[in-house]
Amino acid sequence: MEELIEQLKKQIIEVLNLEDVTPADIENDAPLFGEGLGLDSIDALELIVMMEKEYGIKLKNPAEGKEIFKSINVMAQYVNEHRTK
Amino acid sequence: MSEPILITGIGIVSAIGLDRAETLASLRAERTGVSALRFLKTDHHEFPVGEVPLSTDEMAERMGIPEGQPRTRTALMGMMALQQALKEARLEASDMARAAFVSGTTVGGMDMSEQFYLDFLNNDLHNDYISQHDCGACTESIADHFGPFASVSTLSTACSSAANAMINGANDLRCGRHEIAVVGGSECITKFHLNGFNSLMILDHEQCRPFDETRAGLNLGEGAAFLVLETEASARRRGVKPLGVLEGYGNACDAFHQTASSPDGEGSYRAMKEALADAGLTPADIDYVNAHGTGTPNNDSSESQAMMRLFGADMPPVSSTKSFTGHTTSASGSIEAVICLLALQEQFLPVNLGWQHQMPDGITPVTDPHPQRPLRHVLCNSFGFGGNDSSLVLALPTDTEPAASDKQVTEKQATANIPVYITAAEQISIQKGLCEEWIENPIRYEEPYVRSLDVDFKQWFTPSESRRMGKLLKRALATSLTAMQKSGTEHPDAVITGTGLGCIENTEILLTHLCEEGEENCKPTPFMQSTHNTISSLVSIHTRSHGYNATYAHKEASFDCALEDAWLQMQLRCIQTALVGGQDEMTPKYFGLLCKTGYLGHPGQTAGEAAVSVMLDTNASEKALCRLTYFKRCYRPTQDLLAQVAAEIGKVSAVMTAVTGQVHPDSPMLRTAATLFPDTPLLQFKNLFGESYTAYGLGLYATAQVLHHQQLPEDMLIPGCGQPTALSRILVLNQINDKDYTFAVLEAL
Repeated sequence: MEELIEQLKKQIIEVLNLEDVTPADIENDAPLFGEGLGLDSIDALELIVMMEKEYGIKLKNPAEGKEIFKSINVMAQYVNEHRTK
Repeated sequence: MSEPILITGIGIVSAIGLDRAETLASLRAERTGVSALRFLKTDHHEFPVGEVPLSTDEMAERMGIPEGQPRTRTALMGMMALQQALKEARLEASDMARAAFVSGTTVGGMDMSEQFYLDFLNNDLHNDYISQHDCGACTESIADHFGPFASVSTLSTACSSAANAMINGANDLRCGRHEIAVVGGSECITKFHLNGFNSLMILDHEQCRPFDETRAGLNLGEGAAFLVLETEASARRRGVKPLGVLEGYGNACDAFHQTASSPDGEGSYRAMKEALADAGLTPADIDYVNAHGTGTPNNDSSESQAMMRLFGADMPPVSSTKSFTGHTTSASGSIEAVICLLALQEQFLPVNLGWQHQMPDGITPVTDPHPQRPLRHVLCNSFGFGGNDSSLVLALPTDTEPAASDKQVTEKQATANIPVYITAAEQISIQKGLCEEWIENPIRYEEPYVRSLDVDFKQWFTPSESRRMGKLLKRALATSLTAMQKSGTEHPDAVITGTGLGCIENTEILLTHLCEEGEENCKPTPFMQSTHNTISSLVSIHTRSHGYNATYAHKEASFDCALEDAWLQMQLRCIQTALVGGQDEMTPKYFGLLCKTGYLGHPGQTAGEAAVSVMLDTNASEKALCRLTYFKRCYRPTQDLLAQVAAEIGKVSAVMTAVTGQVHPDSPMLRTAATLFPDTPLLQFKNLFGESYTAYGLGLYATAQVLHHQQLPEDMLIPGCGQPTALSRILVLNQINDKDYTFAVLEAL
C-alpha cells in the first residue's frame, strides 16, 4: 500500500504538471480538491484518464471521481480494490 | 435608438433538414435528427449524433466542387447554407462589394487534418489540405465560392461563434461600414472534438434531454446557417422584403472557468440583460427563449439560474432545440437564430424534445407547441467554453416606414469618427520581451525559424496556477497583465484576441494521440486548450473581467479582425477600453507544414512567435503612446476602392508595411504601398519581429512605440524606399496574398 501511495503521488504530480509540488507535500489524508492541493474539475478528468491508462479502472460518471479523489488514502484504497492491471 | 437591422435572407443545413422548409417540417412534426453515427469515421459508435444526412462527397457534388479540389465538410455545409441565404435575399456577385462576411467556426478543416495529419508530416500526398486546416481558410472557401465580399472575418469563440459573428456583423452595419453583412457559422462533427467532449465526460450515451433531471450530457451535431443582415435603406432600395429584425444583442464573459459555467450563470445573465437593454425591451416583453440548453448537468443548471434571475416569476416559454439538431457547436448560434425566425413567422413554440422529469432547481421547458400569446420578441442564447456568452433578440419586421432618409444616415456616419488612444502596448516575441530594447539594440536574425524569447513568468502566476498553460497562454497572460497594469485598467470593457492557430502545440498533442494511439485515453487538457478562445477567456477569467469577450481566427488577418471589432464598438460608443491581443506560437512540426504551403521558408524570412497586447481607450490620457485615427479592412478591393481609401487617409509620414523575407521592390505589398502613397517612405518590421499569423499586431505595437519614443531603428528602413523626415503619422499596412488589406493610421501625440 505504501508503495502504491508513493506511486500515485508521483503520477498525480506528473499528470497534472504540478511543478512546485513534491510527493512529500501531499499528505495522505488531506483533500486533493478544493482546499488541499487546490485541484479542480479538469484535474479530476485528467486523473480519470490516468486511472484507466495505468490501472485499467474505467469510470463512467465524473461524479464518482469526487468520492475516489477525496484523499490519497481513499484513492489508493480504491485503486487497490479495483485495478485490473 | 440605433437603426434597425433587418434580416433579408436565411439559409440552414442541419440534421433536421437541408433547407428551411425541411427544418420547419421537422420542428413541427417533432422529429429529431439525432441518431446513430453514419458518416464520421470513429470508434465511438456508442454516442448518438446529429449528422447532416449527406456524405462529404455528396455535398461537394451538390456545390459543384470538382473532384480533386480540396474540400472540407465545414466549408461545404457553409456553402450550402450561404447559397440559400443569398438566393432568398436576392444578392448577386455584383452586390458583394457592399457586403461584409463574418463566419464562425472552431473546427475549420479539422475533419481532413485528423485523417491526413501523419501524411502532412511524413509525405506530400495531401499537402493541399494543410492550408485548409485553419478557421480563416474555411471562411474564405465559403465566401469565395460566391463572390468578392467587401470584408471577410472569422469568429472563433467555441459554441457561441456564430452568435458573435452575428453581433460583429450587426456592429459593422450600425457603424455604417457596409449596408449588408452576411453572418453565421458552420461546423462539422470531427473525431477531434467528439473525443475532446468525451474526455470532458459531457456526452450522453442516449438521446440528450436538456433541462431534464435525468440529463447526462450533450449529443454532438453539425450544420451551418447564415443570415443576411441589411440596413433599412439598402433593403428598400433593393426592394427586398425583410423576414425579421435583429433587435438587440449582448456579449459578456462568465469569467469563471475554461469549460464550466458558473453556478449562478453570471455571464449568461449579463448577456441576456444586455441584449434586452440593447433592444430597448424589458424581460416581460420576451415571448420565447431558445436556450443554449446543451443537456449537460452544468449548463442547464447554470442557464436555469440565470433565466430565473432575469425573468423572476414571469418565465416565458423556454426550450432547447438541441434535442432536434444535436449541439451544432460553433454553428449553433445562427442555426438557432434561424429556428427562432421560423417560430416567429409560423407562430409556434419549438418543443423541448424528450423532456420528462422536472429539475428541482431548473426551469420547466416547453412541451406544447401552441403559444399562449403571440410571439413578438424572442431571445436566443449561445454560450461557449471560457464563458463566452452571447444572447440575441429577434422579432418580426414592423410595417412602419422608416423616418430617416439615406442622406441623413450618411451624414450621421460621416461625423462619427472617434479617435482611439493606445495607452499601453506590450510584446513577447523574438525581440526581448516586455521592453523596447529593440529600438536601440535590435536582435538580428538570419535563421528561418526562431522561438520566442520568454521571460520569467513566475511574477504573474504560480507554477500551480499555470499547470495547464502552454507557453503561448503564459505569454498572452503576461503581456495582457502588463498592458493592463501600465494603462491602469483593471477590467477592460472588452477583451478581444486574434490568433491564427490558437495553442497549436496542444492541437498537435491531441492530433498525434488520435493518429498514433487511437481514441482511447484522450486527455481533456489538450482539447480544452485547442479551442482558439481559450486565450481570450483565460485573460478574462484571470482578471475577473465580465465585459465583452471575443476571439478571431483568420490567418494573417487575425489580429486585424480583433482590432476592427474594438474599433467598431468604440465608434459606436459601446465600449471605452479594450484589450486587443495577437497571439500565435510556432512549433517545429507546424513550421515544417507551413513551409510546405509556401507561407514560411522564404529566403530572408524568419518565422517567429507573437504575443502582443494593446490597450485601447477612447479617453485621452497622459499615459497614451499615440492615437489610432483611421481603421479599415478590405478583402478584394477594386483599384478605385483602394484609391478612395488612400484619399481618405491622406498624407502620412511613412507606411509601415508587413513585407516579409528578402525585400523586392516589386513585391505586391511594396507596389501597393508605393502606388497608393507615392513619395512616402516605406518601412518594415517583420525583419525584426518575424513572420507569424498575428505579426501585424507586432507591427502595430512597434509603430506605436516608434511614435511614442520618436525614434526609428535603422533596421526598419527599406533600402531604396526613402527615410521619413518626421515621425508624426504612420500608416500600418497589411496585405495578404494580393488581397485582404488592413489600413490603420497611428498619430503621435
